[in-house]
Amino acid sequence: MLNSCKMGLILAVFCVISAWGLAYVYMFTQTQIAANGQIALENSTKEVLPASGQGRAVAVKARGYGGEIELLVGIDAKGVVSGLKVLNHRETPGLGANITGTKFLGQFKGKKAGDRLEAKKDIDAISGATISSRAVCFGVKEALKKTP
Amino acid sequence: MSLWQDFNQGIIKENPVLRLMIGLCPTLAVSNNATNALGMSVAVAFVLICSNWVIAALRKFTPDQIRIPIFIIIISTFVTISDYIMQAYYPALYAALGVFVPLIVVNCIILGRAEAFAYKNPVLSSVLDGVGMSLGFAFALVSIGVVRELLGAGSVFGLTVFNPAVAATIMVLPPGAFITIGILMALLNKYENKVQ
Repeated sequence: MLNSCKMGLILAVFCVISAWGLAYVYMFTQTQIAANGQIALENSTKEVLPASGQGRAVAVKARGYGGEIELLVGIDAKGVVSGLKVLNHRETPGLGANITGTKFLGQFKGKKAGDRLEAKKDIDAISGATISSRAVCFGVKEALKKTP
Repeated sequence: MSLWQDFNQGIIKENPVLRLMIGLCPTLAVSNNATNALGMSVAVAFVLICSNWVIAALRKFTPDQIRIPIFIIIISTFVTISDYIMQAYYPALYAALGVFVPLIVVNCIILGRAEAFAYKNPVLSSVLDGVGMSLGFAFALVSIGVVRELLGAGSVFGLTVFNPAVAATIMVLPPGAFITIGILMALLNKYENKVQ
């Protein structure tokens, strides 16, 4: 009994030290991480909108192969897709992760509400990553629906 | 054992992936191109060297019965630290590697070396063991990554070598990993037999 109490105590000491270390690192990295996220979002918004800066950037989520894919869809004043960017994803590296490539995403430029967007038919899907490609198509459709 | 041996054995003789056959899960997952393979190797090297160092330094204070939970606490602390630091100061690297960092916790090379080496050896030997094992892991991972990326996508480190349309996509898919690892193991065994 005494022995197990001692073991528990030792383990607790290790946990406390590790928690303290993590809290310390967290403290001085957190502001930087938040700032990085803010800068990234502003840059992405600029990237997906047309040069005039008019229109709106719509953030949507779609279910991919490895989890949710977060997309930022830029839609100009006329309701046409002006740009598209993947903010976050958990697709397979080397396959589904290729949805972030400009060659794939560029295909959505100029699409508008009511256009057919089907992977493998209207949009060239990424080989070996049909589910991820479909998810992006779905996300763009959702974004167009949301915009009047 | 000399310090040189501690360092050297992980590279070929006890190569973690091709000899000890541990850490196969991350190897299969991230060796589909050379860049990912190299990134994972760097992240693993950081955690492996740090955890070997701390575990060796604290081995006198670690009771035998609860050593495994203590190893896990130390390893996961380093993984989380590297995750935060990368996210804060190297956002570009984090964007490329972010998915692999949490995977390091389940990499059994790190726990395996803690148990088999760092827990029983002095600090300097353990750090050298960590460096050698990391190099061995990097060697195995990058060679698998280069072969798979070349045959499966027609490029190496993202630079196109030949038209990807004629590449064999199966090589970047999971079966390609098994095929490549098997052939590499066979080649290494043949080489070892010849040396003996």
